[in-house]
Amino acid sequence: MERDNHQGEAQGVHISEPPSESSLPADTLVTSLSLLGNHMFPDAGEKQEEINSTADKEEPAELQQSDVALKEHSVAEPHSNQLKRLETEEAETSVDLNNVSTQSTDREKEDTAMDNDQSDSGEFVVTMLAKAKLEEQGIGVKGRSSPLLEAGTQESPAFMSHRDEDVTAESWRQHRKHVFVLSEAGKPIYSRYGSEEALSSTMGVMMALVSFVQSGDNIIRSVYSEEHTVVFLQKGPLVLVCVSSSRQSEEQLRGELLYVYYQIVSMLTQASISRIFEHKKNYDLRRLLAGSEKILDGLLNLVDSDPSFLLAAVHCLPLACSLRDSLSQILQKAITPNLVFSILIAKNQLLTIVQEKTVIEDTRLEPADVHLLLNLIGASSAFQAGEIWTPICLPLFNPDCYFYAYISYLDPPECTVCLLLLSTDKEAFYAVAECKRKIEEAMAAQNSLSLIAKAQSYSVSQVGVSDLRHFMYKPFDVPDNYRQLTQFTSPEMEAPYTSEEEKMRLLDLYRFMHSRIHSTSRPLKLIYHVAERETLLAWVTSKFELYTCFSPLVTKACAITAITKLLRWIKKEEDRLFIRYPPKYSTTPNPSKSSRGGKSDQQDTTDNGYLSLL
Amino acid sequence: MPEVSKMKKPDVKVVLLGDMNVGKTSLLHRYTERKFRDTISTVGGAFFLKQWGPYNISIWDTAGREQFHGLGSMYCRGAAAVILTYDVTNWQSLAELEERFLSLTDTANHDCIYAVVGNKADLIDPKAQMFQDSGGEPEDRTELEKDRTEPQVLSSCPTPPASPASPSGMILHKPVTHEDAVALYGRILRYKGLEEKSSLPAEKMCFETSAKTGYNVDTLFETLFDLVLPSILRKRNENQASPTVDLEECRGKRARTSCC
Repeated sequence: MERDNHQGEAQGVHISEPPSESSLPADTLVTSLSLLGNHMFPDAGEKQEEINSTADKEEPAELQQSDVALKEHSVAEPHSNQLKRLETEEAETSVDLNNVSTQSTDREKEDTAMDNDQSDSGEFVVTMLAKAKLEEQGIGVKGRSSPLLEAGTQESPAFMSHRDEDVTAESWRQHRKHVFVLSEAGKPIYSRYGSEEALSSTMGVMMALVSFVQSGDNIIRSVYSEEHTVVFLQKGPLVLVCVSSSRQSEEQLRGELLYVYYQIVSMLTQASISRIFEHKKNYDLRRLLAGSEKILDGLLNLVDSDPSFLLAAVHCLPLACSLRDSLSQILQKAITPNLVFSILIAKNQLLTIVQEKTVIEDTRLEPADVHLLLNLIGASSAFQAGEIWTPICLPLFNPDCYFYAYISYLDPPECTVCLLLLSTDKEAFYAVAECKRKIEEAMAAQNSLSLIAKAQSYSVSQVGVSDLRHFMYKPFDVPDNYRQLTQFTSPEMEAPYTSEEEKMRLLDLYRFMHSRIHSTSRPLKLIYHVAERETLLAWVTSKFELYTCFSPLVTKACAITAITKLLRWIKKEEDRLFIRYPPKYSTTPNPSKSSRGGKSDQQDTTDNGYLSLL
Repeated sequence: MPEVSKMKKPDVKVVLLGDMNVGKTSLLHRYTERKFRDTISTVGGAFFLKQWGPYNISIWDTAGREQFHGLGSMYCRGAAAVILTYDVTNWQSLAELEERFLSLTDTANHDCIYAVVGNKADLIDPKAQMFQDSGGEPEDRTELEKDRTEPQVLSSCPTPPASPASPSGMILHKPVTHEDAVALYGRILRYKGLEEKSSLPAEKMCFETSAKTGYNVDTLFETLFDLVLPSILRKRNENQASPTVDLEECRGKRARTSCC
């Protein structure tokens, strides 16, 4: 709270007396930080209190129960692994869930930290930017203080695209998660909300922070304030920044930024991005990304709403094993030289995936690449008409090369079943389109489409455990092939998680459990967490990672029995829930063109790995 | 190969080129679906097959975004007709045709025909605005209107090329006159080394259309389809001499360029 007041004061002073700003403590790095903070976050003391109190309600419950969890309670020095002086100073204000008991001491320390900051020597670059910032602040505050403007912006979201959002408005600051992409020259490339032009000075400040820390041979990783976490990720010539008021961990947020980076690479390739910026440092990358904003918007919405990204695993549609096998065989037969992946998707979930033999031997398709492909298809309704042929890079497979993707829906006009064929040959459109005709014919002969239409996700009630509300299960050993695509299974979210808010709340709980399990400083194996309206149990072993959600009245013993039952049920159903034995094919012996290059010991199509696996 | 797929083999290729947001996808959508709806920026290129009498005409709707520029020549390879599309309210989009897109047509057939099409005519021409398409009224007028007037990024626009009608770099949003388009058509013919006298006249090959109202859209596509018929017939004759030439041609192309 004290910190907050300080920020408010600083802001007030600067704005009322702009001519004297150079003589004010704007000379310090911390002030420029708080200025960034002031622009980004509203100084709403009341709201902060709310957040703290909900946290207080939840945490004691968790702490009481935590004796069953295999975790230590040593109060580690918060953020001791962080690199930057600046960061450790700021970290004191963070609401660290691990250290509830030390909160008050943290706050006391904070005061001293702030005092020290005030006496810090100023940094020229940052001061300059802080001044620039102040000018923008002035506008921002004007906008906020006018009741007319406020009313206007409250109504606007209904008919305004978030691209046109007023970045000085309160509503803009209140977004749960902002994502910015900028170039090393500080040029804006993407903002999730508001236009990049309007945010150019905000992004300038972000770049100043990055370069200031860089000048001390260090890397800025994150900034914590009471309400927000600011995470930085530098990838080549691009800087990605996330400003989040969700309670996700820094690692999770950085993972999400990495997805944004990969999506940009998937459109341009890493090699061409580096080449462009080597050639011209202040290039405006929006020229090349124009029209792709919706793909990035779609990705960020998916990241928030789809646990696949959190788990780094692919969710496939449950399907009778025999049907999935027959679909795989259809794909396996429709091949042409240089075809490397054949992927069948229904309702935005994977049905089956068939890979070229030499490719699967060399490497495997990473879940993140599949997510990017699924997002591309989901974000481009234009795909519903006609057959698409487009270059696409799979950044984890090879960040510097393009595949050529053939995308076509098999069931127009419903457009739920989508075929995706990836070739390494730019000119192969007609040959690949021919594969689609073969697949279409074979599927018509087997009546596959109507069978696929019947496939759907399952209800948790099928497991037959009364208190179990929802779960996510990610095995590490399905099938007994380490090259396999990482998958997870999860039932539909059902009551009480039917509204968007409730779904998000459950996902947030899962994200919290995930961050505890995967904490870099103190990883846990088992957490039993009694939350306000449900009880969660997360468990990670060498064989699987499991997150379960129970009704709040479940007992520990009940939950453990339930999990045993659940694991037994999954084992029984795994042929249906997962892609078990993904078949391979080998296109004509022309390995030199495959992007992973040449294995010449290819076998005939009829005698490939698929049969040997059976 | 099954009989069905052979029948579907396209006889001739028509390609839509032009800057982003000029309405290429909308034009094609108006023609094929008789509707005008919100579209999303095209990714790569979209392939459509249109039955025209006994012939199959393939239409490539390409992405106008600079990101996909490298693919343009691939889509244009062997094209019998290229529709160069601009936005009548945006002079820059006409300039872009000459600067960015004309060179892509180098891979088209030597006898390829070119049409210069100014879309969004309803915004400047009352005749186009009042036009009633048989397909029905466009839905949700206001929203689409808003989408179409979205600001172009001026900073990224290079200066327009020298031309009799060239304005100073500042007023790139001034409407494009029919004369500008006719002049561009003349320059296209010169670029291709074609005689103006022996080529199709500009009056016939410069269109102003509105994908929104449907104005001139059918005329555009049908005129072009009729004009490419001789090209189809010639190709068919060649195919009769060697029935497998299609496939071989495909293979040949693949072997020539491999790219990653």
